[in-house]
Amino acid sequence: MLTVWIDNERIEVEPGSTVLDAARRLGIDIPALCHWPGRAPVTSCMACLVRVEDDERLVPSCSLPVRDGMHIQSEVAEVHDARRTAIELLLSDHAGDCLAPCHRICPLHMNIPKMARQISEGDLRSAIQTVREDIALPSILGRVCHHPCEGGCRRGPHDGAVTVQQMERYVADEDFAAEPLYTPTRQPDTGKRVAVVGTGVAGLTAGYHLLRMGHSCGLYDKDGDIGGSLRSRYSQAELPCEVVDAEVDLMRRLGAAFFSGARLGQNLSLGELRADFDAVLLATGQGSAALAKELGIASDERGIVVAPRTCATEVEGVFAAGEAVRGECLLVRAAADGKLAAAVINRLFRGEALAGAGKEFSSAMGRVAETELSRIIEGQSQAARVEWGTNQSFISGVDLRTQATRCLHCDCRKADTCRLRHYAQEYQANPRKYRTQRRDFSQQDDHPFVLYEPGKCISCGRCVSLCSEAGGSLGLTHIGRGFDVRIGVPFAEPLQGALEETAEECVAACPTGALSRKQEGTSSCRKSILCRCNAAGAD
Amino acid sequence: MPPANCLCRNTALNDAPLNIERVDQIVDEHGRGAESVIPILNAVQQYYHFLPQDALRRVCALTEISSADITAISTFFKQYRHEPAGEHIVQVCHGTACHVKGSEQVEAVLRHRLGISEGKDTDVAREFTLQRVACVGCCTLAPVLRIDDITYGSLTSDRVAQVLRDFSEMGSNGHADIVDGDKGLSSSAGEIRVGLGSCCIAKGSDRLYGNLQRRASELGIPVGVKRVGCVGMCHQTPLVEVLLPDGESVLYAQVQPEDAESIVLRHFRSPSLPRRIRRFFSTALDQLFTDESWQPVTRYSIRVRDPEVSAFLGKQKRIATEGFGSVDPMDREDYVRHDGFSALKSVLRQADAAAVVEQIRVSGLRGRGGAGFPTGEKWGRVRSADGERKFVICNGDEGDPGAFMDRMILESFPYRVIEGMAIAAYAVGASEGFLYIRAEYPLAVERIRHALRKAEAGGVLGDNIQNSGFSLQLKIREGAGAFVCGEETAMLESLEGRRPAPRLRPPYPSESGLWGCPTLINNVETLATVPWILRHGAEQFAALGTESSKGTKVFALAGKVVRGGLIEVPMGITLREIVEEIGGGVPAGHVFKAVQVGGPSGGCVPAELADTPIEYESLQSVGAIMGSGGLVVLDDSDCMVDVARYFLRFTQAEACGHCSIGRMGTHRLLELLNRMCEGKATAKDRTELRELSRIVQTASLCGLCRTAPNPVLSTLRYFGDEYDAHLEGRCPAGKCKALIKYTVNDKCNGCTLCAQHCPYDAIPMTPYRTHIIDNEKCERCDICRQVCKEDAVDVK
Repeated sequence: MLTVWIDNERIEVEPGSTVLDAARRLGIDIPALCHWPGRAPVTSCMACLVRVEDDERLVPSCSLPVRDGMHIQSEVAEVHDARRTAIELLLSDHAGDCLAPCHRICPLHMNIPKMARQISEGDLRSAIQTVREDIALPSILGRVCHHPCEGGCRRGPHDGAVTVQQMERYVADEDFAAEPLYTPTRQPDTGKRVAVVGTGVAGLTAGYHLLRMGHSCGLYDKDGDIGGSLRSRYSQAELPCEVVDAEVDLMRRLGAAFFSGARLGQNLSLGELRADFDAVLLATGQGSAALAKELGIASDERGIVVAPRTCATEVEGVFAAGEAVRGECLLVRAAADGKLAAAVINRLFRGEALAGAGKEFSSAMGRVAETELSRIIEGQSQAARVEWGTNQSFISGVDLRTQATRCLHCDCRKADTCRLRHYAQEYQANPRKYRTQRRDFSQQDDHPFVLYEPGKCISCGRCVSLCSEAGGSLGLTHIGRGFDVRIGVPFAEPLQGALEETAEECVAACPTGALSRKQEGTSSCRKSILCRCNAAGAD
Repeated sequence: MPPANCLCRNTALNDAPLNIERVDQIVDEHGRGAESVIPILNAVQQYYHFLPQDALRRVCALTEISSADITAISTFFKQYRHEPAGEHIVQVCHGTACHVKGSEQVEAVLRHRLGISEGKDTDVAREFTLQRVACVGCCTLAPVLRIDDITYGSLTSDRVAQVLRDFSEMGSNGHADIVDGDKGLSSSAGEIRVGLGSCCIAKGSDRLYGNLQRRASELGIPVGVKRVGCVGMCHQTPLVEVLLPDGESVLYAQVQPEDAESIVLRHFRSPSLPRRIRRFFSTALDQLFTDESWQPVTRYSIRVRDPEVSAFLGKQKRIATEGFGSVDPMDREDYVRHDGFSALKSVLRQADAAAVVEQIRVSGLRGRGGAGFPTGEKWGRVRSADGERKFVICNGDEGDPGAFMDRMILESFPYRVIEGMAIAAYAVGASEGFLYIRAEYPLAVERIRHALRKAEAGGVLGDNIQNSGFSLQLKIREGAGAFVCGEETAMLESLEGRRPAPRLRPPYPSESGLWGCPTLINNVETLATVPWILRHGAEQFAALGTESSKGTKVFALAGKVVRGGLIEVPMGITLREIVEEIGGGVPAGHVFKAVQVGGPSGGCVPAELADTPIEYESLQSVGAIMGSGGLVVLDDSDCMVDVARYFLRFTQAEACGHCSIGRMGTHRLLELLNRMCEGKATAKDRTELRELSRIVQTASLCGLCRTAPNPVLSTLRYFGDEYDAHLEGRCPAGKCKALIKYTVNDKCNGCTLCAQHCPYDAIPMTPYRTHIIDNEKCERCDICRQVCKEDAVDVK
């Protein structure tokens, strides 16, 4: 056995182990993108740098064999700076978005392209899951949201944005009509209790997410009907009462306890709520400044004063969200506040710092040139956008599926599993550290299941070695050298020929979103994985 | 020399159906193993002048080479073309010396004249294909360009038009064939020696050689006309040395081919009088037309005792280049006459390999390729490494722009390199070896190939050498244009037939090298030094130089220096002695500013520190490195930011792209320097430049990128004021295109010369009036300034 010290922690490892192996056994998460346990190191991403004591140089730990008595520095500022630089350098040449523009713009951050893929396959059960992951009240927002997402749609300037709002409404309505109704899953009970005062869009949204996180939730409304201003602000044609009722019913099924006629400061005291519950959220709507004064909480002309991005009032354990804070605001903004409040309260319960909820690393490639856009649209459905129109009942499933196929899928299919993104977040990397012109965005989608986006490739070479081991006639290869090196198919052959045996393995091996499942999130995608895996004899 | 069945470039390759059978022959010649990929690609390209896809597919079908590997390799090396080239290939050298002497301007004007737009490499009519090459190794002739196999040197942007005219008149037939083989006649009547290195040939010495041979034989004079290697005095080439029967020698510098007859007749008597009379008359006839007789030759004549020559030679000490200017590079017998192969023979006689390693250890010899690792130590490691099969490799992939000493040694002393390799192989127990020589050195390859054949025939290579039981098979592997292959692990990958991505060391090649076997990799110059050490003794070698750096070092001295050339000096000599005494200082009217030492991995040593001695450690302490031995002298007309950018541009283009820090880091550094040179940088960019340089230096995978920031850091260290000036939008040296303007002052007499020569029509034709330069149209090609006789063009 060999002894090695990493950041002064001692560990014994088998001869032949690398420093990365040793660090992992100590529970140190050294970023490694090109590394592949059990295989010869490629040593190309350089994110796993460490310093061997007394050496000025930094070396990649994935291919550094442990010598007996070695002293290694890993979690120190200088090493972290170099790792961050490696990640930032990779990001500086990254042409592709983590999240689609519509997803990024949506205040509720719904994964719209994924929903569109599911609808276009007719898989409405998956679609409602996607929607309800982020949106508490889709049948309501599907009707009265001002849909900023469509304003961000890349297709917009070309031939009209994808009709996101119609899709959302359709998915939600179809689900309410379906049997059984989809009920979102809840985390195991945490034993924490939250009181939400006010059952407008902010209150309901917060309650929904808190319930799903496993907390129990009591929702108080000063009136008889639950729904707050949702019931008064819109006409029956715009937002029928039955729609609100249906969403409230779903909340009940999730375990929400509603109390109507409970007016804070009159028959409901903040003190009691604070005593009975672990946290209190004030979602009391417009004109809450007066209420705040009564309760002795700081306020300004718009409403209750909260700390930025944490919804926290000056009173410990008391939060406020929506129009209670902002005064009159857009519906989706209030909903986003409710969602944020739920996330912040969750962090409170977990003993984490309140700030930072919902702050995810996101690489965005910015404006897409006309030439790039035409290239992307070329391979997609050429159907025209169908306008909402006055007759709202025209939407049929068939129409909607066609509309869904118009989506350009600007999202990264591997946004949740991308290791580059993961470590970029961890190391607080700045994707715009280097002022530079980004390379062209392009997609190669001539494979039935696999999408290749060269702009996201870090040229680590994992897929190249996989294909080479599989011994197919084509495979993938490095093309060019230096800064211009790219991964591609020899002789510019189609991707399908290159990935004959290795499609699934290559997608799984790719540490970024460069190789991904085209239909990520749909049932056909899951099926295709299964088929391929069975065919390849893999697990 | 193109093969006899080569397709002529003039045939319409595009339209002709591919002669695929040729691929089959090539594969038969080079083998079907994966390691044959580069030789096969070289042969395919030599035949078709590019790599047709069908040919590549055919290669994959016939060999073990996969389509993934052939794609990776054929797109990695810069020499390979995937599109048909134009009828003629124009290579513009962008070596350091060429760069500081204006190769960018030359290329810009060339592009303009040939109608090749930016981003393209071939003109519409497919007549010319333009290639940027890192360095053709003719630094003393800078700037240099090659059209097909003709080299044009000492160019200016204004001379481009003249060069193209010359080429179209002469075609590719401007050069006499160099006779291959041992024809070195030695004669009691004396000897005429002609230096025939690549640079000399570029200046016409091959035609001169042919003329001398022809004239001497026509005149019946029994004088030996002898081809010798590089003479080192590149600034004086073509150089002819006449060795008279009485032992006196006369040197003629800058001789023209037409001068051959005059030289022969001046020193040697023709035995047959009638012939002589005939020659006399024909010469007299010549005089009628040319009005030149002895004058030109007399003018060039210099003697070794002339002060200039003795200054150039005085401080030098020849070990690796021993016998410079007197040994015929092609003639094995001649090498033997100069003590050649005696070291090898005595090593084999004594049969004590360990003692050889010890000798090298005691000599203190350190690797001349750049890093300076003790050679004896390396040999010892390979010798003691376990392994039945061991290799010895001569690293001749000299790639530093501004360095050409390895090329010169390979061209001039091929037998010495082979002898050094054989001794090394014997010492470490290797019986196979490779000479990896870069593709840009065709003459070196040709001469080594010839020497290998002769050495085998002469029993100093092959099986059971000199009945010692020691056998050694040496093969040549040609590179294909990749600087990174000079890095030993990348070179090994390339030899094994893979894309040359460096490996992390350890393990070092001495334990696990070529195909996992212990492998000794030494640089050309290191190997060429070995025979001398064994002949003269390690102590004598160690007596030269300093405590830490023993012996001598060969340098390519070029740039802004009066006497450029190939020099070999004892370690410990100062940079100032080299620049001012050997090199004769910077040209009159200019101020010595810095010496760039060590090429793209090195740094710029400012004039104030010119008393730094040549030693591995002392050079490192001033931010440079010994490197492979390029010394480019810079004067006040050189912009140091531009020099830093030049090197970054080189390393960025040559980086293999395997590791993220090297690949992206060098690119971002180049972008920062580009912004500097364009006057668009901010103070923050300057900080970024320093910080990123540090990271690239400490964290890249291999030496290429780890040392890439050195030119940036050393210029930041010594010439920070120039960076400041660029942040303010000024280029004090007047080099950075975006920051300078050409204007005409009142000395202008309206002669219209500038207007006639401007290739961009930026100067309206205004006879007898002061000219005006249109700054919008002006491309800063500098031609107007060059042609103006009144010194009326200012650059600010």
